[in-house]
Formats: sequence, structure tokens, C-alpha cells
Amino acid sequence: MNELILQHYLAVGAALFVIGLIGFVIRRNLIVMFLSTELMFQGCAVNLIAFGAFYGNLGGQVFTIMVLVIAAAEASLALGLVVLLYRHKNTLDANAWRELKG
Amino acid sequence: MHMHLTANVIPSLCLAQLTIVPPALISILCVLAGVGTFLLMPSRRGAGPRRIGATLALLALAVFGVLLFRYAAGQASQGQPALSPYFWIFAAITIIGALRVVTHPHPVYCALYFVLTVFSTAGLFVLLAAEFMAAALVMIYAGAILVTYVFVIMLAQQTQQSITDASHPLSGLPEYDRVAREPIAATLIGFILMGLLLFVIFDLAPQQPAGEPTTAVATVRQLGERLFSQDLMSVEVAGIILTLAMVGAIAIARRRIPADESTPVEARPDLMELIDDDPHAIPVYGTKNPGQKSYPET
Repeated sequence: MNELILQHYLAVGAALFVIGLIGFVIRRNLIVMFLSTELMFQGCAVNLIAFGAFYGNLGGQVFTIMVLVIAAAEASLALGLVVLLYRHKNTLDANAWRELKG
Repeated sequence: MHMHLTANVIPSLCLAQLTIVPPALISILCVLAGVGTFLLMPSRRGAGPRRIGATLALLALAVFGVLLFRYAAGQASQGQPALSPYFWIFAAITIIGALRVVTHPHPVYCALYFVLTVFSTAGLFVLLAAEFMAAALVMIYAGAILVTYVFVIMLAQQTQQSITDASHPLSGLPEYDRVAREPIAATLIGFILMGLLLFVIFDLAPQQPAGEPTTAVATVRQLGERLFSQDLMSVEVAGIILTLAMVGAIAIARRRIPADESTPVEARPDLMELIDDDPHAIPVYGTKNPGQKSYPET
């Protein structure tokens, strides 16, 4: 592993993160918004694994396991909330909850 | 004096060589990709602008890839270890799949493109000698999380039909899936961030000392030993977090469903009384009057 290879992987991670960020802002469907956060999680995971492989440190993989755990917990809780919100307003539109903006 | 001069000149020369992609080119490519992504977003525009957007985004990606590939090939000819050709394939699939997740108007297709992204990311992990993480990613993301997402998409099946023309590609989709929110601001912020990140990664980072790169390959056995000795506490915390999330999700989304599905719930007042959407409601037994839920003042 030389530095050039590390940078290529970091670029892929950065692209994944930014695309997820854009998706979270532009989509109005609650489910797709949470899918975009999963994309951001994956960008972070790619960075962590690349650094871990580059420095020969297992910490990167251990952190990625924690990222996966948090992603799974987030997905279950967020989808539970989405189901609850859908029952209240019968729509998945995030703008239906605009009054929360204050 | 002469020595001093060369000592100053040589690092700057090295810097010039290490700049893989010049900042100006990064900005141009980011603008190109940003315009392409903007045109790709779900909107009232027709298929023509979306096709142009896809072409622009692909073009930017391809130019960037070619630049990096040329640099990598140059490094490889100097005896440096080369990137695997699979890297380019997996990276392209990952980024294109991620773009489609964000821009496809159908939520089910978004989920399927996300599965594609997960698989190609797992391929990248294999290239980085993290086989266990690749397998875990496919099992957890593609196997568990995505199934949950697809279930919820099916559960919240959208029935509003604003476009009645069945031949229209977006027919049957509600308005909030067909029109993006704040597309210009989102693209601007996103691609400014992307440009900065790429600038730091490719132009600033080589100036920093690179630490100790290593060729040691970590095995799954080493990962397990590390996980259950040094990081045992985090494994326990992960278990607690997952338990909390499971209990929380059940508590949030719980709803009593009548056993008899033949008549709608709304037509049966006895069942409607049983169904309580409010998770904070205090059950009061022996009365059906909601006013009696509060405790008497005496």
C-alpha cells in the first residue's frame, strides 16, 4: 500500500459522503432521506478501512464494525419513526411536518 | 548559500510533482459534475435534460478517473505498487450507483441501486484486504437493513396518483418523489465540499508526513483476537445499543392488529377502541371514558 493508493480510496469515500449529503437535502421522501444517510455511513466506512489497511492497523476495521452497528440501530429506529409518522399524516413527505421548523 | 537555495527549491519542486490533480482542474470537474447532478435530480423537466445531466456527470467522472489512472500508471512504471484494475471498476460502480440512489424518483429503485453500491463497496473492501468487513457489509446492509427499507416502502405504498397518464414514466408517483427540494443550494454546498475534500486529499495531503505505511495484511483471526481482547468493551456496548434499538423500534411502531381482517377496522368500534396510536397514553382499566385517564384531584 503506498500513499497514492490510499488517496484514491479516500476520494471514493469523499464522493460517497458528498452524494449522500446532497441526497439527504434534496429528497423529500423520508425513506430515501434515510437511505442517503446510509450512503454517508458507507463513505466513512471506506475511509476507515482504507486508513486501516494503509497503516496496517486493525482499528479501522473495528471502527467500521461499530459504524455498521450504529447504522443498523439507526435504520431500525428511523424506520419505526417513519411508520409512525406515515400513520399520522398518511404521507411520506418530509414537508408535511413543516410546523416542526418553528 | 548554494546549499541553502537548493534546499529551498527541491521541496517546492517535489510539491509540484506531487500535485496529482491541479486545484483549477478539480474546480472545473466539480462544476461539471455539479451541473450534471443538478440536471439528473427528479424535477418537472423531461427526459432530455436528465440525459444531458447524466452525460455531464459521467464525463466529469471519466475525466477525473483518466487523470488519476494516468498518474497511477506513471507511478507503477517507476516501480511503485500499482492499483488493481478492479479498483477502477468498483469505484465507478459505487459512485454511479450512489448518484442513482439520490436521483432516482422511485424509492424501490433507490433501494435497489443502494444494494448495488453496497456490493461494489464490499468489492473495494476485499481489495483492501478486509474480507470480513466485506462479508459483514453485504450481510448487514444488503441482507438486513435493505430488507427493512423495502418492507417499509411496501408498507407505505403511495396511492395518490397525480399523473394519470399511465405511459408517463413518473405516473403513480406522489409529488414529493417527483420534485427535488432546494436542488441548487444542495448541489452548490455538496460540490464545494467535494472540491475542498479532493483538494485536501490530492494536493495538500502529500505535504504532510505520511507516517508508516505497511505491507502487513491483517487476517480475520487477528481481527477477532483484537475485537475480543482490546476492544471487548465496545463489543458489549454494541450489543446494548442493538438491544435498545430493537426494543425502541418495537415500542415506537407497535400497533394492535385485529385477527379478523375481513371487515375494515374502522367499521368495528370495538376494535377501534383497542387500537391506540399514542405511545404515551396511560392505559386505564375499567373505564372507556378518556377523560377519566387523569387522576382525580382529591
